[in-house]
Amino acid sequence: MANLSVSICGVQLKNPVIAASGTFGFGREFNGLYDIGTIGGVSTKGLTLEPRLGNPVPRIAESRGVILNAVGLQNPGVEHFIENDLDWLKATGTCVIANVAGKTLDDYKGICERLDGRVDMIELNISCPNVKSGGMAFGIKPETVEEVTRVAKSGAKNTPLIVKLSPNVESIVSNAKAAERGGADCISLINTLTGMAIDIERRKPIIANNTGGVSGAGVKPIAVRMVYEASQAVKIPVIGMGGITCAEDAIEFLMAGATAVQVGTANFTDPYAMPKIIKGLNDWCDKHGVANVTELTGTLQLNQK
Amino acid sequence: MKDYIATIVKNEQIAENIHAVTFALDEDVKVRCGQFGDIAVGGTHLLRRPIAICKAEGREITFCYQIKGEGTQKLKTMGAGTRLNVLMPLGNGFYVEKNEKKVALVGGGVGVFPLVSVLREYGASKEVSAYIGYRNKNAVCGVEEFEKATKFVGVTDDGSYGERMNAVQAFAKDLEAGNRPDVVLACGPTPMLRALKALVEKEGLNCYVSLEERMGCGIGACLVCVCDLTNGKKARVCKDGPVFKADEVTL
Repeated sequence: MANLSVSICGVQLKNPVIAASGTFGFGREFNGLYDIGTIGGVSTKGLTLEPRLGNPVPRIAESRGVILNAVGLQNPGVEHFIENDLDWLKATGTCVIANVAGKTLDDYKGICERLDGRVDMIELNISCPNVKSGGMAFGIKPETVEEVTRVAKSGAKNTPLIVKLSPNVESIVSNAKAAERGGADCISLINTLTGMAIDIERRKPIIANNTGGVSGAGVKPIAVRMVYEASQAVKIPVIGMGGITCAEDAIEFLMAGATAVQVGTANFTDPYAMPKIIKGLNDWCDKHGVANVTELTGTLQLNQK
Repeated sequence: MKDYIATIVKNEQIAENIHAVTFALDEDVKVRCGQFGDIAVGGTHLLRRPIAICKAEGREITFCYQIKGEGTQKLKTMGAGTRLNVLMPLGNGFYVEKNEKKVALVGGGVGVFPLVSVLREYGASKEVSAYIGYRNKNAVCGVEEFEKATKFVGVTDDGSYGERMNAVQAFAKDLEAGNRPDVVLACGPTPMLRALKALVEKEGLNCYVSLEERMGCGIGACLVCVCDLTNGKKARVCKDGPVFKADEVTL
């Protein structure tokens, strides 16, 4: 048995496998299939200060190897989460990461203050591609990434702050560095890539929002490249995600520089994807003589050109 | 709810563009009528296909599906012996109260199959009338099941089978003739459900509708497949539904 535990910003995770925001709710449904206390962490459905109804349907489409979604941050609001879900989720024993979004800098500060000290970590969503007021305005340019990070951190004084980066930007390296300068304790990437799928009979996009965030197996090479570049550019830990389907995929992200990974779309294809990935990680480590999974992080050696 | 490994026993066309696939399971599965399964077709298809359960007998389970996109095209080609993962049973399903003796089923298109499951569950204990609409005679299916109902009225859009009308018109006609049910259970295209909702509201009838929506997780976690409720809130079709009280949902 390999030691799969990892420490991120002083927070201990049983293993480096975290449920990605938006694919896992607050964990209750998946807990009906397996004990979610066995996974490293849960990044909650994106929370806002006020409840939100989200986008019209259809909210999802499929293309070979990927899916597109535009849920639009439907959520019951942070107070509802604190009152109804937080204690339950903590009691499962998994690491609780509150994913948060907002319209304004004040929103980000306010929601971080509300959750400060109540959750294990806060993940700043400044890259939701599906709503105008989902923070995407902050997530594009390095200057605003730094600013929103600084404001959020002033609200999350006692809770490690993860800044989730968008891949739909000019330079992932510049934005990773900007988050670090702004006081981020950790960065996570990639959020979804903006895409479109068309119903050719109707000559209209399948998703009501027209565009949606692309995720799933097909985006993995892009995500691995970005995780590698970002992790080379910052000193803070990196959480990698994008198309992880099996343990081998997760290992690619660890080698590219990630300390932990998130799994999203794979939960739809196989609701047991995460327990299988955790078991697969252990098996791979045992087979390769890796005693601690942390030994894998950043061990990629580039080919000489 | 469980992710079953299901082996295809039979997979054949039963009407134009409609196929029926029967799986054998390693264990019994308890299913309520109107529930669905989420079928993994594999390969480059990352989403499962949510399909209504038509028939569940011990370890055999049958789904009927319309060929609509690449996923159902792929499912169509899979022969006996193919093993697939099926997450089920999902959703709430239909439920008929003890005091509801007369049940009307109103269905159209591929929506007729959940109603077959209702008839199989309640056919013996209730007086069931089925009003089923098809596009044309080539689309007619499930008749051998619906004929077991107390009353079966099959109609088509072009009159090539039964009378030329839709399922809601057939139901309305029988209502006028005095055949008034205690509860109406329906599944079909949204325009059909909308027309039915208007009718049952006018008549003051108790009605439940089963909805269809593009789904993500299938278990209520991802908030992809929502519908609008009349109270201004949203509900998850996969978990809170797919069956809703007609007067509680906006169509």
